Amino acid sequence: MNPEPEDWKVTAFALGELDGEEQAALARRAAAEPAFAARVAAIRSQGDSLKAALAAEPGPGLTDDQRARLAASAAPANLRVVAPRGRLLGLFGKIAVTGVAAALLVAVALPTLSGPRREPTTAAIGTGRPAAQAEFTEVYDRAGGVAGLAPTTPPAPGVAGAPLTRGYLSQNSTSQAVLRAALAPGAGRLAPARPPAGSGAPTESPAPDDGHNTEGYDRIFENPFLAVGDNPLSTFSIDVDTASYANVRRFLTGNMLPPPDAVRLEELVNYFPYDYAAPTDAKTPFAVHLEVASCPWQSKHRLIRVGMKGREIDLARRPPSNLVFLLDVSGSMSDPNKLPLLQSALGLLVNQLTENDRVSMVVYAGASGVVLPPTAGDRKQEILGALERLHAGGSTNGASGISLAYDTARAGFISGGTNRVILATDGDFNVGLTSRGDLLRLIEDKAKSGIFLTVLGFGMGNYKDDMLERLADKGNGNYAYVDSLNEARKVMVEQMAGTLITIAKDVKVQIEFNPARVSAYRLLGYENRLLAKEDFNDDRKDAGEIGAGHTVTALYEIVPAGVALPAGAAASVDPLKYAPQPAAAAAPAPAPGAGSGETCTVKLRYKQPDGDTSALMTFPLSDADNAFDRATGDFRFAAAVAGYGMLLRHSEHAAGLTWDAITEIAGSSLGADRTGYRKEFLELARKAKALAAQK
Amino acid sequence: MAADDTSTWLRATVDAFERPLVRYALSLTGDLERARDAVQETFLELVRHAPTVDRHRPAPWLFTVCRTRAIDRARKESHMQTTDSAALAAQPSPAPAPEAAAAAREEAEQARRLLARLPAKEQEVVRLRFQEGLRYKEIAAVTGLTVNHVGVLLHGALARLRGEADRTDAAAPANA
Repeated sequence: MNPEPEDWKVTAFALGELDGEEQAALARRAAAEPAFAARVAAIRSQGDSLKAALAAEPGPGLTDDQRARLAASAAPANLRVVAPRGRLLGLFGKIAVTGVAAALLVAVALPTLSGPRREPTTAAIGTGRPAAQAEFTEVYDRAGGVAGLAPTTPPAPGVAGAPLTRGYLSQNSTSQAVLRAALAPGAGRLAPARPPAGSGAPTESPAPDDGHNTEGYDRIFENPFLAVGDNPLSTFSIDVDTASYANVRRFLTGNMLPPPDAVRLEELVNYFPYDYAAPTDAKTPFAVHLEVASCPWQSKHRLIRVGMKGREIDLARRPPSNLVFLLDVSGSMSDPNKLPLLQSALGLLVNQLTENDRVSMVVYAGASGVVLPPTAGDRKQEILGALERLHAGGSTNGASGISLAYDTARAGFISGGTNRVILATDGDFNVGLTSRGDLLRLIEDKAKSGIFLTVLGFGMGNYKDDMLERLADKGNGNYAYVDSLNEARKVMVEQMAGTLITIAKDVKVQIEFNPARVSAYRLLGYENRLLAKEDFNDDRKDAGEIGAGHTVTALYEIVPAGVALPAGAAASVDPLKYAPQPAAAAAPAPAPGAGSGETCTVKLRYKQPDGDTSALMTFPLSDADNAFDRATGDFRFAAAVAGYGMLLRHSEHAAGLTWDAITEIAGSSLGADRTGYRKEFLELARKAKALAAQK
Repeated sequence: MAADDTSTWLRATVDAFERPLVRYALSLTGDLERARDAVQETFLELVRHAPTVDRHRPAPWLFTVCRTRAIDRARKESHMQTTDSAALAAQPSPAPAPEAAAAAREEAEQARRLLARLPAKEQEVVRLRFQEGLRYKEIAAVTGLTVNHVGVLLHGALARLRGEADRTDAAAPANA
């Protein structure tokens, strides 16, 4: 069909772009000719579809660092009011203009940052994490000032000293030159030339890439088998977070396999309630249950399950609660699976509160503010009303909101009660001037005041899983991901006691394996919860919390003494150069316990929620040589869940494991399953199998 | 106008336009890092020229500046890049949703795929119109084309997307 010369004007008319006489003429034609009107309507409807399709297009923004720098340059202190005749914007303007000119003249010599200096400083902040696992590496520019923080990743093999910016800091940017020139003390001076090409990006693969993916997950390096001779002690902090399970569920229900780094084994296993008996002694906050049987994916190996059950608190007699809801109401929270779901979830919680409880609400978006002052828990209309009135919009400044929330919590502090900040967000903090490291330090500082933290994650796409998990960790708290009203019910209603009431804090586990019985072991999960062995007895070192009624489960895969180690497991240690050589293998006198027949001894340390000194519990474990199918249902189900995580993570230790084995084990250990979570797991496992088969 | 107000407005504008500008710049450069650089420079210009920009409708100004910066950085192979649809496809979808919404999502992805096959100029005006909400006059200002040419390009693009025209490049009209 040959287009009429003015055909494009029909489209313009349909899109509302004509005016005057042209518009009127076509409007008359549309009124008179149904065919023409239909054509116009079709164009409009096509436009609407295009709008919707393009609005749904995922899109990255600037990097955190770029945003932070823009915020700095836009700060009031850097701006001057423009005089009527348009004089330059004060000092900043002058320097910036100079910088631009200079940068344009010297187009090739683009400045960048030097590689990072590896500092153990972050590890020293009471986390008990070994320095090798420092979370953030401070990245310095040549002038020695801190340019920002980049997450630490180990250098790619063979690329010695490769800078590890992982895309956080744009390395060849003229605008960096402008900003640095504008903000540096000796304004106008350019930084030295960029480092050699090729050193900019780590070569390990797959790099969790913050360029195209706005979700954020920490890299997980799976725990290897460790030889007992060199590593008789395994030490870690407990964890009751469950977010990874719900997050993985979100991917699978969306017909996608999750990114391997989103799969944290301990959170999968800990998602499910197990029937461990509660402690009988009122003074002991939790009971410990050990079980051992053969390993379903490696018949020569054994599986040890360490289970803990927190004391139940009769909800009718629970201590009074002082709760501060800290809510992200920034623009990104407006999706239906975020703020509206959050409102419902908190509503469920509010419905269970009484006149002994106190609720306040702080929002952060653009500015932060208290939208509900401390209000007694029985004044439901007021509280629910404040929830209703929330609406999303604006940017976020997480740091000031957090300070305000903790101040509000401290103002309403209830001695002997539960004092908790409940943070709900999609993690897209946009914290402006505050770097992530500063935010974590802020939380850590606030946590010392006896106010605990629950982090509820919502939404997807922008979801910053790594950040939220760290916040909960530093904040003496727990972290759950709410992807549906059912999950909201689980976190807010079924497990409310555990979510709200901490019964023991800084709970650490240390296991000593008996070399006469065990040649190597592997802890399943808890990779970012490992502690140095000295940290176990060091009460200054922070660890996880247990809530009322919570269960915590950890699994070890054991290579019994006399069984060959898996190929490639337990890299050998070089002989020592300075210390005396250990005695020849035939000669050493065994320690007293070696002949006991015990497999290991499990030790736990914990503090009362308001205490500072830890108490110790000790449990020896002997292996009765049970076969896997004689183990309890809870044991077998936990093993199935761990196996599911291993397959989703493409674990190198999953050689003997199949999806069918997992569904079979899970199917035979559903138990009473009153809540239906185990059946749901079975469906997810089948789904994962189907998705994996498509690859 | 107090520095505080300006600062607040600047921050709000950066927040609001960060992603749209990166998306637009990416469609012109085909390279995310260059796109981000272009956008960062755009915002720095905004900081410098804040008083001269229309507070209520900064979009045309922002996209114009961004376009210049992005074009400067586009790869030398071609003056204008079509969208790197592989880069966009690699990003996670906004929401894995129940069945009904999943079908809509498929449709949207299909529409974007078809769009990516259009000639570069047509893609650009479609995005500026339907993704960034600019008027014809504004699109003309941003791209340096005449309003008529913008109208012709949009008309041609929509026709192509409907499957009504052949896929070769439309000849520029006499009054372009």
